[in-house]
Amino acid sequence: MKRSIPLAIVITLGFLFVGYVFIPHKISTDFYEWYMEWIKAMSPFGVVLGIMSIVMTHSARIQHKVPNWQYSIVTLIAMFFTAYAGFAWGTQEGTPFMWLFKNVQMPMGATMFALLAFYIASASYKAFRARSAEATVLLLAAIIVMLGQVPVGVSMFGEGINDITHWILNVPNLASKRGIALGVGLGMVATSLRILLGIERTYLGGGE
Amino acid sequence: MNIFERLQMLDRRWIFLVVAVAIIVPLIIPFNSKTYTTEPTEKLYRIIDSFAPGPDEKPIEKDRALLLVFTHDASTMPELFPMEIAILRHCFARNIKVFTLTFLPSAAPIMDYAINTVKEEFPHVKSGEHYVNFGYKIGALMLPIILGMGEDISEAVDIDAEGRKLSSLPIMKNIKNYNEMNLIMDFSGSSAGGAWIVYARSKFGANVGAGVTAVMAADEYPYLQTGQLTGMLAGLKGAAEYEKLVEVFALKKREFSRELLKDPEYDNAITNPDIPYKFKQARIGMNAQSVAHIMIIVFILIGNIGYFITKYKEKQQG
Repeated sequence: MKRSIPLAIVITLGFLFVGYVFIPHKISTDFYEWYMEWIKAMSPFGVVLGIMSIVMTHSARIQHKVPNWQYSIVTLIAMFFTAYAGFAWGTQEGTPFMWLFKNVQMPMGATMFALLAFYIASASYKAFRARSAEATVLLLAAIIVMLGQVPVGVSMFGEGINDITHWILNVPNLASKRGIALGVGLGMVATSLRILLGIERTYLGGGE
Repeated sequence: MNIFERLQMLDRRWIFLVVAVAIIVPLIIPFNSKTYTTEPTEKLYRIIDSFAPGPDEKPIEKDRALLLVFTHDASTMPELFPMEIAILRHCFARNIKVFTLTFLPSAAPIMDYAINTVKEEFPHVKSGEHYVNFGYKIGALMLPIILGMGEDISEAVDIDAEGRKLSSLPIMKNIKNYNEMNLIMDFSGSSAGGAWIVYARSKFGANVGAGVTAVMAADEYPYLQTGQLTGMLAGLKGAAEYEKLVEVFALKKREFSRELLKDPEYDNAITNPDIPYKFKQARIGMNAQSVAHIMIIVFILIGNIGYFITKYKEKQQG
């Protein structure tokens, strides 16, 4: 029962939406509009579920003193305080919420993303080797594109480096990206069909 | 152990230190560098500029508008925020009607921050007349809103971030759907902008532009080639290019010209104290990126030289 009912809901709604897309009749359009009103009501429940999940997960971590449980306290305090700041004083410029955003979330987020530069540099030094003909082509393409992306590259090698960079991005890169996109598209269609027909059930969790 | 073998075994913390220095020094000691503009950026600039009211036209009467969609959080702000404020600066300087929207709760403060950052320089700009922040709309409503705006924007979005009915705002005069709000510019660190290409572009013929992080730019080239993307700002480089275009043309109310861009006078922005930092941060960042790219290339070359010499010696020994 725990798996059959969700499966029946997915299959029924899946076919109804396929019908909406391919049969532009008043009944299907009305159904879609009715469903959209329900979505507005469903989303807040999703938020409540999300908050409950975070609170339960981190409370359990604190209660059982699992390794690094102290971070869970920080997570819960940060979540409730930020929400309180937003509700109490609003989210406009000059409010504590905006101060938190500018001085805590923004620099922390940027710091996390900036770490990428260090790992790219380290990985390129340790692993980017011209071990084979393919690796050599990749390496040369990477060097040219990196030079073409920055003003110093153009100053050193002239505007020709820009043209080569654009060629690499517009021809070999584009061909491979398009091939990948077609593969992904076909894969999505196949997976959707498997879900609609009830063959693919892993999204229900629990395993077979 | 010879020097090349030692280099092969180099502790990565030394690499981290060199990269940190390479990035920090150009940010602390600014220097001028030339910004070369590319076609995808120029195309975007030109289409946005074409939305500006003529000299005898009241801005409120203009039947063209631009929608900026913020689909990213704070982590990608160093690359995307300079693009956003460069485009907003362009719009405010040329009285182009502009709307902002997000389907991500974490992007809502970024929209406010971007608008307020640029608005400080343009005291005449008013919410509801020159721009409207549509605010955060829940992600589940993304598709109905994208499709709904093809019919009627005021009905699909309903209220703005300040709780006002869109239909009551003066800016909405002569703006009904994608025929008027003819360019959607999506800023993201992913391929999230694809939804606008699939629905707004294919179904309603709206122009779509993308502002993406540099690592995502390669994914957007197929759409650029087919014309499904009108233009693209790729990473910090795209932001730097747009900053320059706004300064050379929009602020001086000039027509776009490639010849003018070659004038070295317009490459002194970084050391020009009259230009606020916020409007040249991408160009300053490009200096750091230049040095970082060179450093990474040097690392790759040293690593490979060491690899080949070690391999050669091993061959000779055994």
